This record gives sequence, structure tokens and C-alpha cells, in this order.
Amino acid sequence: MVMKSKTLKTVGVTTAILVVLLVFASGCISSGEEPETITMSGSTTVLPVAQTVAEIYMDEHSSADIQISGGGSGVGVTAAKEGTADIGMLSRALKDSEKTGSNLSEYIIGRDGIALIAYPANPVSDLTLEQIKDIYQGKITNWKEVGGADMEIVLIGRDSASGTREFFTEYVLNKEDAAKTMQEYSSNGAVQTAVSQTPGAIGYVSLEYVDESVKAFSIAGVKATVENVINGTYKINRPLLLITNGEPTGLAKAFIEYILSDAGQQIIADNGFVPVA
Amino acid sequence: MNSISGWKETGIKSVWLITALISALSVVFILGYLIITSLPIFFETGIFGFLFNTDWNPTGSTPSYGIAALLVDTLLVTLGAMIFAVPLGLICAVFLAYLAPRKIRDMVKPAIELLAGIPSVVYGFFGMIVLCSLLQNVLDIPSGFSWLAASLLLGIMALPTIVSISEDALFAVPADYKEASLGLGATKWQTISRVLVPAAASGISAAVILGMGRAIGETMAVMMVAGNAAVIPSPLWDVLSPVRTLTATLGIELAEVASGTMHYYALFGVAAVLLAITLVINLISTRITSKIQSGRPIFSVPAPVKKILILSMVLLAAGVILYELGLIPLLIMTGVTAAFFLLKGKISHKTTEHAAFGIIYGGTALVIGILVIILGNIFINGVPAISWEFLTTAPRDLGREGGILPAIIGTLQLVGGAILLALPVGIGAAIYLREYSRDNPLTRLLRIGNDLLSGTPSIVFGVFGFAFLVIFLGWGVCLLAGMICLALMILPTIIKTTEEALKSVPNSLREASLGLGATKWQTIKNIVLPAAAPGILTGTILSIGRAAGETAPIMFTAVVFSKRFISMDLFEPVMSLPFHLYVLSTSVPDSETQQYGTAVVLICIVMAIYLVAIVIRKRFQRKLI
Repeated sequence: MVMKSKTLKTVGVTTAILVVLLVFASGCISSGEEPETITMSGSTTVLPVAQTVAEIYMDEHSSADIQISGGGSGVGVTAAKEGTADIGMLSRALKDSEKTGSNLSEYIIGRDGIALIAYPANPVSDLTLEQIKDIYQGKITNWKEVGGADMEIVLIGRDSASGTREFFTEYVLNKEDAAKTMQEYSSNGAVQTAVSQTPGAIGYVSLEYVDESVKAFSIAGVKATVENVINGTYKINRPLLLITNGEPTGLAKAFIEYILSDAGQQIIADNGFVPVA
Repeated sequence: MNSISGWKETGIKSVWLITALISALSVVFILGYLIITSLPIFFETGIFGFLFNTDWNPTGSTPSYGIAALLVDTLLVTLGAMIFAVPLGLICAVFLAYLAPRKIRDMVKPAIELLAGIPSVVYGFFGMIVLCSLLQNVLDIPSGFSWLAASLLLGIMALPTIVSISEDALFAVPADYKEASLGLGATKWQTISRVLVPAAASGISAAVILGMGRAIGETMAVMMVAGNAAVIPSPLWDVLSPVRTLTATLGIELAEVASGTMHYYALFGVAAVLLAITLVINLISTRITSKIQSGRPIFSVPAPVKKILILSMVLLAAGVILYELGLIPLLIMTGVTAAFFLLKGKISHKTTEHAAFGIIYGGTALVIGILVIILGNIFINGVPAISWEFLTTAPRDLGREGGILPAIIGTLQLVGGAILLALPVGIGAAIYLREYSRDNPLTRLLRIGNDLLSGTPSIVFGVFGFAFLVIFLGWGVCLLAGMICLALMILPTIIKTTEEALKSVPNSLREASLGLGATKWQTIKNIVLPAAAPGILTGTILSIGRAAGETAPIMFTAVVFSKRFISMDLFEPVMSLPFHLYVLSTSVPDSETQQYGTAVVLICIVMAIYLVAIVIRKRFQRKLI
């Protein structure tokens, strides 16, 4: 019996030590200045650039702690309204229904083009808006119908909370539903990854996600580039917003001011977006 | 006994009763909360319209909230997983129980248990990177993200459950059966296939049902490979079609829906339906298990009914083949089947046995091969990513650079908190159930509640935590909410293992202590608990391992993708390893090195925890002998 009660004690003591260590370890790492924390959540289109700006901002202001998570534009609105985040990120304009009954402040921090992308080796390089609409509604199901190889088209799109999807549905599909066979992914990065691995795929992502792993279609001859968004020829673009519940204060205010400053806008431009200033 | 110590004893007993009630009541509360929150959707569409409409399009121009396609897809994915996992699992179980030499058995069994220890997000990650592209290239299909990929992955994940429970059932068949059969001159294979496996049939069916429960409730792995289009495959057996399960729908849409919209209520409807399905499966498996324990057969079908059933199934299959493929394939298949039955009598028993054993060895080798491939792929690619910087700094550039320290600490915080919450409640509940109460309606209800809680899909805890803790109580996404969700998830395991441990303490110890004049609580505290400590410890450690690898309960309640500072504030969100891996692999292109690195660290942490449990179990087993 003595043996066994010893075992119990050992176990108890070990657990206690571990817990204390854990508390101390976390305490040590976070000691120093008391950080001021804000959380941001919402659009995965805005997320990477917000993250980049936040990292630079935090390097300059060592007590600032800016936590960013994705979710989608819908989440951005909900989180800002419910107070689960200090700043919401959106890749579409606020809807009237979202504005009513709340006191949201909105800040346009840039504009973003949406690129239609395909597997790099796909011989098709230009589509019209009508063709894209027909493809996404399942009326065109094979690449050969738009001058490509005899290959089935794999539709890839975003989940239902995505601002990118909402804008795409409104602008390209005239608010009609996409075909039900569309595979849904929950972020720009996921769509880009899926398209880069799928020879027959077509997908839509924010311009900043276009790189050598995928190929962006030109739309009726207009290439999907930042320049063409700025000069107004590439029409598929939408605003990027930060929203707060009421007037922002403290770190949230300072951060929004920073992102709208010249330095912040330069980062926006570096990330493939169209600056507003 | 004076009245003060009498009061004290009653007081202590009441405390344990309360802890026991917590587990049972939390199931009732979760289910009730989900149903109440989802009521608006049922008023909108009606129960019938919600369940039987195949159109799930909550954000369309005319929104539609029918979950029939999701239900069908969930069943298909589970069915596919079972078609793959049941034969393979049974083969492994037969191998382990009857064919394997002791040494091999001692190596293979832990290896298969290891499969159970790999976190589901790691399976999903492996599925995305390796399995889907493999399917795409080998089958030359447009996209590997499909029903097939999801079923294969879920099958692998359900294997350990099926193998270990079936093996227990096979092992429990009395040795007389085997000896009698062999003594009558039957071959080894005849004995296994005609005597031993049928004798263990009820145990095996319990294993299959539990495996099924695991498959239906799985979120992360399915969501990452299934393609997630809410369509019913057409034709129904098109395994290459993308599908979307109930769990994946919650995983994808919940974080992204505006609360208070019809879409939000519809998702709670989905969660309620999911929970209801798993509750039914659980009740069935509990019934089967209790019938096994009482020694009654679980089902006996009269021979004529059996014949009619088989005949109608054959006719149905023939009809389907005729309809889908035409007459010639039907004739060929009929010919092959007929030939098989004609030749069956002619092949010698030895040949059959060789063939059967060949299949069994092959099947077991396949399972081991799968394990080696998964772990090999992840370690070979992941170990080079690990450096001092990776382990000790915060992520930068969306996790493409820097390290994962905040995620490691966050995971430890979540798990530590969950254990601190669940352990006292779990041990208390077990003490009440085992030491204080007789078998009565109340304890039976408490046990059922506990069983149901243990079968609840992990994402349901996440959904509940999001709606109740994060939104309703206004805590926001925070560490404490995640701890509570994880604690609820591991509570039943702790109760079960503690109960088992208490059960194994011989009654003579209790009687001796009581006989010497100790009170009930003194006996429990000084005699029973110390003797049960190793068992309790093993259960706790296994729970820690499970909690460390889980993603679904915390993804809506506790975690953010990036956070530079580490804090102990319970009302702040944290980073966590499984979620970090999920986001990196689904949303951050060009981060493959970091993905593999994170997967390796996650696996190592979970495996280390399991290893400790195995070592402790081994040590004490030896001591008892």
C-alpha cells in the first residue's frame, strides 16, 4: 500500500510541477511590456496583406499585438458587430441589410481584381464574361467548347461566406446560382492550390494569388493585372474594407491610420492590390 | 460513527453525484441547445423539407436549405469507408488473434494503435498532398478530391477501432471451441471461418458500428479531401464525384455565417441531425455490447427469412447491373459466380486455406504498409523543416517563415486547461458510479448519458461552444472556450477508464479497510484510489493525446491563425498546432516545408504522449503479474 500511495503522490506532484512550469514558461515569454491586443478577422483576400502590414507595424511598435484570423467577409461583419473582433475585414461592399441597426465605420483600404485561373498548361488563355458564366452554370462542360483540349472542366469556387464568391456571383453570374458540381474551398489559397494541381480546373481568386503555379485568363482581351484595374479596363474588381463597430479607438485606430498612410498603401501595392490613395 | 463525520460522508457523496450529473446533463444541454437554436429553420422549411430536399444552397438568390444531399453523401462516404475498412480490419484482427507469432503480434498491435494516434488533420493533410494527387494521376481523373479519397482516408482512420475491438472479441472466444473444432479434424482455416469468427460475430458487429460512428463524426480529414460540392453522386455509385458531408458543411460554413440569419439556424439544424444520427448509432452499439456481456446472441434470423433476403439481394444486384451495364456483363458475372460455386467443392481444403492465409498476410501487410507510407512521407519531408528557429519563434509571412512556438504553447495551454477541468469531474463521476451507487435507474441513465457524450462528433462540441460560449455568453473566441469544449470531449474517456481502473481494484481491499473501521471516503481516498492510480493515469494520458490532436472543437472557439505574443489570459485566443497545419495546408500556398514541419511536430507531441501511456501500462501490467 505504501508503494501505491507513493505512486499516487508522485503522479500528483509531477502534474502539479508540469502545470506550474507551463504557467511560468508562458509568463516568462510574455513578460516585458504589457502588450495591447486587437483581433481582426474576416476576408481571406484581405488577410495576407493585413498580416504583412501588421507584422511591419508590430516590428515598429513592440507593445502592439495584432491577431488576425480568416473566415470570410461574412465573418468579418459578424465578428465586428458581435465584438468578437476589433476590426472586420471585407472583400466586398457592406450590404444595406448589414448597415441597418448597427453603427459600423468602414474604411476602404484598396481595390482588388479577381482573376479567373486555370492549370498553367491549359492552352485556352482568353475567355469572355458570357463564356465564364456558361462555364460556371454548367452549360459549357468541356474545354474544347471554348477552343481548348478535349478535357472535362472542373469547377472550383469559394464557400458561401466568401466576399470573392459574392462579388463573382453578382458581377459575372448576374446573381444566378453556379452549377452544383462546383467544388467549394474556404480560401483563396485553397482555390489556387487546387487549380494548380488539377489540369481541367477553372477557379477564381484575388489577383494577388496569381503566380507561376496557375495561369490567369485575360477577359475579352484585357489582361488581369493591377495596371488594368487602375486604368479601369479590367472590370472584375471590388473594394477591400476594414470595418469597426463605432469609431475605432486605441490600437485599432492607429493601425487603420497606418494602413491608410503612404507606407501602408505602399505595402498594399506591393501585395498586388490597387492602392486608394 | 458520529453525526459530523456522517454529514461529511454525505457531503462528499453529493459532490461526486454532482460531478456524475455534469457529464450526463451536458449531453442533454448540448442537444437541447442545438435543437432550440435550430428551431427557426424548421419553422421555415418544415422538418420534412429540411431533411428531404436535396438542394443545399443557403446563399443562393433564392436560398434553399435541404440537407438530403448532405445526408446521402455522409452515408455514402461512411459506407465506402466501411467497405474498405471492415474486411481489412477483420483480416488484421484474425491475423493478430490466431496467426501471428507472439513477437510479431507485440509489434503489429501497437503499430495499428499508432494509426489511431495520428491526428485527423494530419490524415487530411496527407490526403490532400499525397492521396488526392495519386488518385488523380493513377485513375487519370480531373480531380482527386472525391468520395473515393474521403472514404479511403476515413477507412484508414476507422481501422484501428475495428481491429482492436474485433481482436478483443476473437480473443474472448473460449479456447474449447477451437480445440473441439480442430479435434474433429477441421483445418485451421475452417476452424477460423466456420467456428471462431461466427462465435465472435456480435463483438465484431460492435466494432463495425463503433468504427462507423467514428467515420460519420469525422470532420477535418473529410473536409480536406472530399471536394465539398453538395451534390448526390450521379450515378449513385460514382465514387469519383465530389461529395459534401454534414460535418464538412459545419466545418466550412459555420465560422463564416452571420449569426441570426436563416443560414445560421440551418447549420444548427445540420448539427442537431448529425448529433441525432450518432446518438442512434451509439445506442445500438451500447445495446449490442450489453447483450454480448449478458451472453445472448444479438440477432437470430430464421433460415427461410435469411434465404429470401439473400435471394432478393442477388436479384436486386442483378437488376442494377443489367440496368447500368447491360446484358453481357451480367452474363459474365453470373458465369463467374456459378463457376466459383461449382469449383468450390472441388478445391482441396489445403488450397483454400493457403489462399485464405495468403489474403490475411497480404491484408495485414497492406495495413502496415499504409502506416509506413503515411509516417514515412511526413517524416522524410518534415524533419528537414525542423530547426531551432522553427521551434522557438513566432510565424511570419502567413507562416511561410519563422516558426511555430506560439502554436506549440497554445496547444499545451488548451490541453492543460482541458485536463484540469475534466480530470476532477471525470474521476468524481467514476467514483460515484463505481463506489457509491448500486445499479439503479439513475446510474443507468448517467451511464447512457456518458456513452452518448463519448459518441458525440467532435465538431458538435465546436458548434455548441461557438454558439453558447463565444456568442451567447459573449466570451469571444478565447482560450477558456476551447478548454471547455476539449474538456467535454475527453470527459467520457476519463470517466470510462477511471471506472475500469476502480473496477479492477479487488473488493477484499475495500472490505479490509472498512472492517478496520475506516469510513467509506477514507477507504476510497487511502486504499482504492492509490490502487487505481495507474489505470486512471493511462486514461488521462490517452485523453491528453486525443485533445492535443483535435481541431474541430477549437477551430471556432479558441484559435486564431497568427499571434505573436504568448499570454495566459483565458479570454484571449491562442494559436494551436492542428489548426495551424489546417490553415497552412488549405490556405497558404508555397508553405509546404512549414506544413510538413508542423505535421511532424504535432505527430511527435501526440506520439510522445501515447508512448508514455503505453510504457506506464506495460510497467503496471508486469507488476500485477
